[in-house]
Amino acid sequence: MRSRLLLLVAVLLTSTTAYAGGEPEFALTIRDHKFSPSEITVPAGVKLKLIVDNQDQGAEEFDSHALNREKVIPGKSKATIFVGPLAPGRYPFMGEFNATTAQGVVIAQ
Amino acid sequence: MRARAAVVTLLIAAVYGPVAYADPDDYVSTPAVEYGEREVELRFGTASKSGEDRESAGSIALGYGVTPWWFIELYGRFNRAGSNATRFDAVEWENKFQLSEPGEWFIDAGFLVEIEWPHDRAEGYELRIGPLFQKDFGLVQTNFNFLLERHFRSDEREVTELGYQWQMKYRWRPDFEFGAQGFGGVGPWNDWDAARDQSHTLGPAVFGKLPLGGRQVLKYNAALLFKASSAAPDRTFRMQVEYEF
Repeated sequence: MRSRLLLLVAVLLTSTTAYAGGEPEFALTIRDHKFSPSEITVPAGVKLKLIVDNQDQGAEEFDSHALNREKVIPGKSKATIFVGPLAPGRYPFMGEFNATTAQGVVIAQ
Repeated sequence: MRARAAVVTLLIAAVYGPVAYADPDDYVSTPAVEYGEREVELRFGTASKSGEDRESAGSIALGYGVTPWWFIELYGRFNRAGSNATRFDAVEWENKFQLSEPGEWFIDAGFLVEIEWPHDRAEGYELRIGPLFQKDFGLVQTNFNFLLERHFRSDEREVTELGYQWQMKYRWRPDFEFGAQGFGGVGPWNDWDAARDQSHTLGPAVFGKLPLGGRQVLKYNAALLFKASSAAPDRTFRMQVEYEF
């Protein structure tokens, strides 16, 4: 029974790793508390990576209820955010620490 | 990678070194870690069972995202049984390790390690560990966690018990999501109790996040749980509020 439990955990951890890698990448930049581009068009039905480059000094939190993602990105650093596969539609996101200016949308089509 | 190695080591240690039933203020852990996040957390729960005293528990905690994959929380826990006075119960140190970026793997994974020092030294100390899983289906988020729990150096027989917790929610709006939660335990992990002695509860739950400006956010979730087995409390109300800053 013990060995079965350990085996189950090992299988879950290793099998899911096989899904990583190879996703198309899309770049986003944060500068002066704004996203650039503020609209990004991606293919629907495909898992992809958003590479977010925070060029500001301070940290920002990429936040999207539509995408179910929250990710703190320290100042002067990059972060990878996995999204999808998405159904066709618009998926708003924002920088939670500067929500009045840092707004954007992922458009899946 | 360091997190994965630590997880394997702790899993082996716990299995050879138990699962207990959920406290009334227990909550469903999720695998994601927010780096640099600071939070103050309040939890409360109260459970009633016919013929037995009501059991209530609460806790206050301070949490911090130490790295992009490691979140720690320090709890002070209190409980109350029947008409007795509320008493200090334990200090708990919770460690959550994020094993994958959300969406990176087929299932998001994390690992929980909790160490509790009960006020009553006769209870020894308690270790609770286990994997945390999350899978999204569009606007539906599902979580399922297996947790092993064991008391060490206690006056009672040391047994490793297996418990679980799950939730499913429809992410309707950021400030209001709804779904269900469940908690349970089956007894010793390698020799499950008879079904009538196991504890299983489930019921409706609500969730939400309220932005307060800048880094400040208030998150909440609450559930009303009903017994799904004869050994479980008839009704349990539990809630959790987190202030992030």
